[in-house]
Amino acid sequence: MTRAEAVALALSLLADEDIVVAADGAISREAYRAADRARTFYMLGSMGQVASIALGLAMTRLERVVALDGDGNLLMGFGGLALVGGVKPANLYHLVLDNGCYATTGGQPAVSRKVDLAAAAVGAGYAWGRRSFSDDHARSALGSWLAAPGPAFLDLVVSAEDPDPAPRIPMTPEEIAARVRGAVARW
Amino acid sequence: MTGSLRLAALREAGVEFVAGVPCSYLKAFFAGCEKLPASAFLPAVREDHAVAACVGAWLGGRRAAAAMQNSGLGYCLEVLTSLHLLYRIPLPLLVSDRGAPADFEEHRILGQRTRGLLDLFGIPWREAKPGKHVAEARWLVETSDAAGSPAVLLVGKGADV
Repeated sequence: MTRAEAVALALSLLADEDIVVAADGAISREAYRAADRARTFYMLGSMGQVASIALGLAMTRLERVVALDGDGNLLMGFGGLALVGGVKPANLYHLVLDNGCYATTGGQPAVSRKVDLAAAAVGAGYAWGRRSFSDDHARSALGSWLAAPGPAFLDLVVSAEDPDPAPRIPMTPEEIAARVRGAVARW
Repeated sequence: MTGSLRLAALREAGVEFVAGVPCSYLKAFFAGCEKLPASAFLPAVREDHAVAACVGAWLGGRRAAAAMQNSGLGYCLEVLTSLHLLYRIPLPLLVSDRGAPADFEEHRILGQRTRGLLDLFGIPWREAKPGKHVAEARWLVETSDAAGSPAVLLVGKGADV
């Protein structure tokens, strides 16, 4: 399964009111292409901060907050994992699209190939954490993750291939932020 | 109620969420934060995570502020530039002003460049003065709102906190 397919599948399983934080780079572009929604915050930079932004949302909102993270991204801000585990927001759902490398910059290997991210999340205090390797089980793994007690963490291993790169998001950063804030306030 | 003049003033000015990493200069401020409801205060593991969480809280509809030592500004630069300044998100920031001549030498290099660093990125700042906590909290909130950017209050040793 490609990362883009996994992003699309995860988004298809969410409720309309869920708030999404999509990691900077390919994951945001793929989320926009698969299912643009007013309640998705598309990051353009700040690699490493997906979980921390999601935590700020989860602490202030009652809806489910879904973080669509990358493995290299998570590793860059690994302290964010401890922060979520320590605060334990029950409405935070953290998904890592794990291709084991820095795909955007040429596929350089990441240490996620040797580090058990789900065990780290559980060690940090997440209520639930799993790693899923198999394409055949991706849908059921995502279903189990979304049905688990939060904060819940799923490390979904995906292909490092990127056969159909998604284009940039045709919105200004200001439009992206104002749209999310407005949509959240209206709920 | 919180035992911190500056926290009380920020709350009065509309701040509903605080994240940060402590500095001894801000001890009373953080002691006050610990008395806030759990959903209103995030003691963060590093300053970049604190200001990123403030972005989440702001998206969630809350007015969010951060507090830290000036050494933490370096960790924050990527987030302040690629979230707050890029998306035009306000952020009142309380920053301890370490690095005066009498301070420990580990604070000297960044301390002497804190104002220059803020000027370089066009982040408005001013220095805290005794007895001015109410006006300064209002300045932080109004300036960061109007600019859609961080605004910094530098808090020196012995200032009201």
